[in-house]
Amino acid sequence: MSQREYHIVVLGSGGVGKSCLTAQFVQNVWIESYDPTIEDSYRKAIEVDGRHVILEILDTAGTEQFTAMRELYMKTGQGFLLVFSITSMSSLYELQELREQIRRIKEDDNVPMVLVGNKSDLEDDRAVPRARAFKLSQEWGGVPYYEASARRRANVDEVFVDLCRQIIHKDRDQRERERETRRPQRQRPGDRRNRRNHRPRCTIL
Amino acid sequence: MADLVFESDDTNKHASAMVAPLNIQKSPKRSRSSRLGHSRQSSSRGGQSTTSQSHMSPPLTPRSSKDTLADQPSQPIFHNYLRAFYHFHPSSTVSSSTDESSITVPINQGDVILVHSVHPNGWADGTLLASGARGWLPTNYCEPYDHPTIRTLLNALTNLWDLVRDGENGDLVVFMKQDYIRTLIAGVRFFLEKTDCLTRESPLIVAHVGLRRMRKGLLGDLSSLVKTAKKLQEVLQTKDSPGLVFGRLDELVLKAFKLVTRAVRFLDIWAQDAVSLSFDMGEGNNRPLTPPSDSADLAVQPTAAPNQDGAGSAPANDDVASVSRASAIVTCEPLDHEATQPRNLARLSVAFSIPSDSDALQSPLFPPHAQALGKRLSVTHRLSYTGKSQSTRKHNLASERLNAAHDSFLGFIGSFIGLHLQSRSSEELALTTQESVIACRNLLAVVEEVWERDSRRSEPLQQAREMMYTRLAELVQATKDMFSTFEAGMDDEVIMPDQGKHLVVAATSCVRSAGECVTKARLVIERIGDFEFEIDEQGLSHSVFDQLDHNRPSLDQPQDARLPEVPNQSERVAEIEKPLPPPPMCERKMPPPLVISDSKPLPDVPHSRSGSNQNAGLRPLPNPTAESPVAASFRLSMSPLPQSLAPGAVPQLPQPSASDPSPSPASATQRFFGKSARTDSVNTSVADSSSTCRYSMRGETASIASQTSTRATTPDQSPAKKHSGQTLVSSFGSSSELRSVASEDVEAVEEHLLETTYSHELLYNNNGQISGGSLPALVEQLTLHDSTPDTSFVTAFYLTFRLFTTPVELSQCLISRFDLIGDSQSVGIPVRLRIYNVFKGWLESHWVIESDSSALGIIFSFATGKLRSALPAAGKRLAELTSKATEIRAGALVPRLASSLGKTGVSGSVFIPADNTAPSSNITRSQLNALKAWKDGRSQCSILDFDPLEVARQFTIIESKLFCTIQPEELLASEWMKKGGKGVNVKAMATLSNDLTNLVTDTILHVEDAKRRAIVIKQWVKIATKCVELDNYDSLMAILASLNTTTMLRLKRTWELVSAKTKARFDELKAVTDFSKNYAALRQRLHDHVAACIPFVGMYLTDLTFVDAGNEPTRPLPCDSGAEGLVVINFDKHMKTAKIIGQLQSFQVPYRLTAVPELQEWIESQIQRMHSSKEANPQSFHRQSLLLEPREPPRVIKAAPPPVSNGAANTAVADNRTATEDRFGMLSLSNYFTNNTKDR
Repeated sequence: MSQREYHIVVLGSGGVGKSCLTAQFVQNVWIESYDPTIEDSYRKAIEVDGRHVILEILDTAGTEQFTAMRELYMKTGQGFLLVFSITSMSSLYELQELREQIRRIKEDDNVPMVLVGNKSDLEDDRAVPRARAFKLSQEWGGVPYYEASARRRANVDEVFVDLCRQIIHKDRDQRERERETRRPQRQRPGDRRNRRNHRPRCTIL
Repeated sequence: MADLVFESDDTNKHASAMVAPLNIQKSPKRSRSSRLGHSRQSSSRGGQSTTSQSHMSPPLTPRSSKDTLADQPSQPIFHNYLRAFYHFHPSSTVSSSTDESSITVPINQGDVILVHSVHPNGWADGTLLASGARGWLPTNYCEPYDHPTIRTLLNALTNLWDLVRDGENGDLVVFMKQDYIRTLIAGVRFFLEKTDCLTRESPLIVAHVGLRRMRKGLLGDLSSLVKTAKKLQEVLQTKDSPGLVFGRLDELVLKAFKLVTRAVRFLDIWAQDAVSLSFDMGEGNNRPLTPPSDSADLAVQPTAAPNQDGAGSAPANDDVASVSRASAIVTCEPLDHEATQPRNLARLSVAFSIPSDSDALQSPLFPPHAQALGKRLSVTHRLSYTGKSQSTRKHNLASERLNAAHDSFLGFIGSFIGLHLQSRSSEELALTTQESVIACRNLLAVVEEVWERDSRRSEPLQQAREMMYTRLAELVQATKDMFSTFEAGMDDEVIMPDQGKHLVVAATSCVRSAGECVTKARLVIERIGDFEFEIDEQGLSHSVFDQLDHNRPSLDQPQDARLPEVPNQSERVAEIEKPLPPPPMCERKMPPPLVISDSKPLPDVPHSRSGSNQNAGLRPLPNPTAESPVAASFRLSMSPLPQSLAPGAVPQLPQPSASDPSPSPASATQRFFGKSARTDSVNTSVADSSSTCRYSMRGETASIASQTSTRATTPDQSPAKKHSGQTLVSSFGSSSELRSVASEDVEAVEEHLLETTYSHELLYNNNGQISGGSLPALVEQLTLHDSTPDTSFVTAFYLTFRLFTTPVELSQCLISRFDLIGDSQSVGIPVRLRIYNVFKGWLESHWVIESDSSALGIIFSFATGKLRSALPAAGKRLAELTSKATEIRAGALVPRLASSLGKTGVSGSVFIPADNTAPSSNITRSQLNALKAWKDGRSQCSILDFDPLEVARQFTIIESKLFCTIQPEELLASEWMKKGGKGVNVKAMATLSNDLTNLVTDTILHVEDAKRRAIVIKQWVKIATKCVELDNYDSLMAILASLNTTTMLRLKRTWELVSAKTKARFDELKAVTDFSKNYAALRQRLHDHVAACIPFVGMYLTDLTFVDAGNEPTRPLPCDSGAEGLVVINFDKHMKTAKIIGQLQSFQVPYRLTAVPELQEWIESQIQRMHSSKEANPQSFHRQSLLLEPREPPRVIKAAPPPVSNGAANTAVADNRTATEDRFGMLSLSNYFTNNTKDR
């Protein structure tokens, strides 16, 4: 199988540090000068469960005020990283709207998605109780919840890998479904969820 | 790359400089270094020494005193520079240097050699500074050359060499500027400063005629070097034939060589005479150190003797004999020469000699040495030699290996950590654990190799490595614990994240110590030189792989795998501990210093026949006992001419490590006698002998050496003088007050040297651009006396300095430079003028009143005080400017336009009045009437009523106006993201863009009839197409952000009615706005765009955000010792920021379009309508879209709020939620699991 390319969209309100998260992920450890203007600035080849995939990450950090542009960005994404800062409750609330928009655009309830509470290194400034964020992730249908720190490079790769894994599973399911097109569609969503092993998870470093 | 340095501390400098010439056989006393037979020599230029100061002839190497030596076990440090202390002329018959230089270079006593690589047999590929000739030379004829005073200069030369080598490969950017030459100047400055000869008035210079002359010569050399560099720059600028460039490059290198050679000679004289002067002046308080050294010498000598004896006369070793024979012939002539150079005879012949394998076997002192050899036979390279150029890159080099191993380690450990953060199957877990451990082992293997290679057994590296072993063991233990606490009855996926917690901690600390380890290893590599890696994969990680194989079958059944895993894990722990090397105390397997004698023997060092009367007098410790037997045996072994050695008759060298095939004495002798002068002959001789890959590799290196040597040996061209004047004038720029040509003379160079410099606190990137520096260093760069600062640098500095310093701090820094620089004609005045210019430019066009006014007082007092007294006119003008700055409310004094910052190419067309060439507008009378009617409230207008081009034009005008108001300050530090931040215009752009998108959506969705909707879509596609023609990409993006969304595209009936032509156009537009591959399509279009344009601002905002997020604010200054270095401003980051802003600014050019106020008014009203509309949001648009064309196959998509209570799974979760609300945490997870299993 040729190397698959998956599109990941990173979303979240301004100032939650999502660009740091993305930059940390795509950057090589040895890079001492990061140039975001070159073509493969946001591409990264990773191995997930023995599969080599290429992730193309769309992180439009800095353009949060271009709200009308959002839908355009979301359209391409196969998986979504919803990032908030644990130091800002409003950044969590704003994700709710983003998630609804994704669901609407994708016309799908089970879009691969990960909820990320960034800035976990700023525990002292925590404004979002872990339970609150986790509850939200459960309300979203058991979306995995991570707390990450871009600054300390904690859980950075993990969130992307988790999302990628979800996309791979979904991709596989979709192809399976195409094969057995006769089966009625309506049974699928719930079915898929269980097979996708979508259990509540909470990951904190 | 940094030069590899001795660890001598400066306190010993004087002491070492004052001891009598010593021959310290430090080794035998110490088991560590005993077999090295390595002795430090005081070096000198034999030819020049007038032995008048007989007992005061000081050595040049810094470590001749006993104290220093005691701290320094001999070490296979890779020395970038060697100094010959014997003549070596491959064949006395060969006289023309061109003939032999391709293979073996003759060296003369006192020659300094830049070493590129050292072959294990002791031959080095080096370039003679005296002649520029490159070739092989025997290291045992040389000694490492290094001295704290000259080290900076030597480093600078190494850098220059590497730069030139890159230059030969076409990378000439760096030569376009003069920065690279500055390091050499700084080297000379440092050198003179350390030798107390910086100023002409220094007592040493005044007192010593020779030094005065040498100093002058040195400065003359420097000035001629600078001249050459400028010529090179000129040649590059005029883009002449590349041949000329190479000629200049050659000249440059040769000039630099000359400079360094002169400095070496200077140092010789200084060391001999000057120090005695300074001693007379009462500074020689370190003197008492000398006697102990001498006594050490005494104690040492006798032990050394048998060694030498064994090596020289071992009757059982035919090869040794043959070598001696060979070298005896070779050295006949040099020996004669030496007879006339008495001082040299004082040398102990074993100095710096490399024991051959046979030595090792013969001598009872070195028994275990031989076994260690097997692995370490490889060419050692100067790290910088291997680091940069692709052409010579070898992937087997230790540095490469280290990086690769570390990368893969990080990869595996990353996924290892990742797995434990999530609940994952034990199967995956076990596999990843193994992978990580293997990766870890591979890394450790490399580190191990590096450590072993380093005979000094770097303490820090060892500690780091030990730490890593411990961490790894902990990690394995943690994994083991985890598996053992497993409950077998549970689902195979039930490795709970919290169980993994301490595992993760262990793994993380493992990563950390690995990082440490790698850093330390790199330092060691830097010190000992890069080397080809011959890691024995089998031996080092075989067992792990074995173990893997054992595990694999069981892994197929994860359920069963768990319990067996436990013993395996512990096994693994044991496994990991096994390869720990013996502690440094009992190490005997040390490689010899510098090189490992392999096969091709070095010529024997010419044994000086001491007994020269003068020397006996000079040296307290002549060593006849040690030398004479050697000499005797030497003579004894002299037998028939080596030429007569037929291949068959060549005695085989005994091979200590059985794996090595017999070497090729033939090739060795051939080289000795310079018979095979060409590169291919090396290869031939290699082929003759039973060659190994190592041999062929050597051949390869040789050919590289000889190829390069053809360039380096280009004879010194007499510099064409006529150009220099012009070059200088141009490089000084317009400032007429600067002295130009005259500064070329020695005096000017001298003044230049006197200036205080921070250039050592600057960092350059591969393109020769400044990538980092301390504030004083950056300020210095801004105000150099001899070159106009780089515009992009100045722009970036003005734009971003508030991010890394304060206006007050900057002013103070500029003023302190003003104070320090003095008022000399060629340096001080130009620099002071530039300082004034910096202030002026800042006040005139980069003044930000809110933040900068704090510095105004300082600047004003500077202008009226120091500046006025030094440069009255400048002081007056600056004072005026400061008072003006207080008056101006906001913005710059001079209206700041695009061209004042960033691109200069924008000028010209920018300010042409708009109505000059503007196309006439496409608007009819009836359209104007309709607009009038709309304005009077009599009727409505529709977007369909107007010409798409005209709508696009008017929209472009509106947007362009806004775009051109964006100030660079708005774009810094994510200012536009902040509430109440400066980015007002950026925010307005975003709002405008949003409103346009909404307007498009609104105009389409408000049409009931699908056919008419299709027409509106067509109209917008047309408008968007016109926007592309107008280079208004921001509006284009906004329109596409409506058309190209699900809300629009899902209107299937409508799109069916859209013509194929429109669809094709739409596809083209989509291609333009495609943001995949990081907006590759759009970037392509914007690249080198010069005319008026509105780029998609969002892209630049993202770029700016990522430059900020992805680059640290500071970067460490690399330093030799590996200690905590200085941290300087990461100017690279600010350069990048400024570059992006500069790009954006280059587009801030007004369009030449005719405004139609009526139409603009209508458009603005429409936008305003959207702005204030509550319906203009994606959600309601989507609802409208659904109303117009309901979903065809009615798939259940849950209504937005509330998301919970939909679907079985969610209900389960919701139910559960109530139960776990107040006891959130890991406890609740089990509930979820059970729920999920039930669902299943």
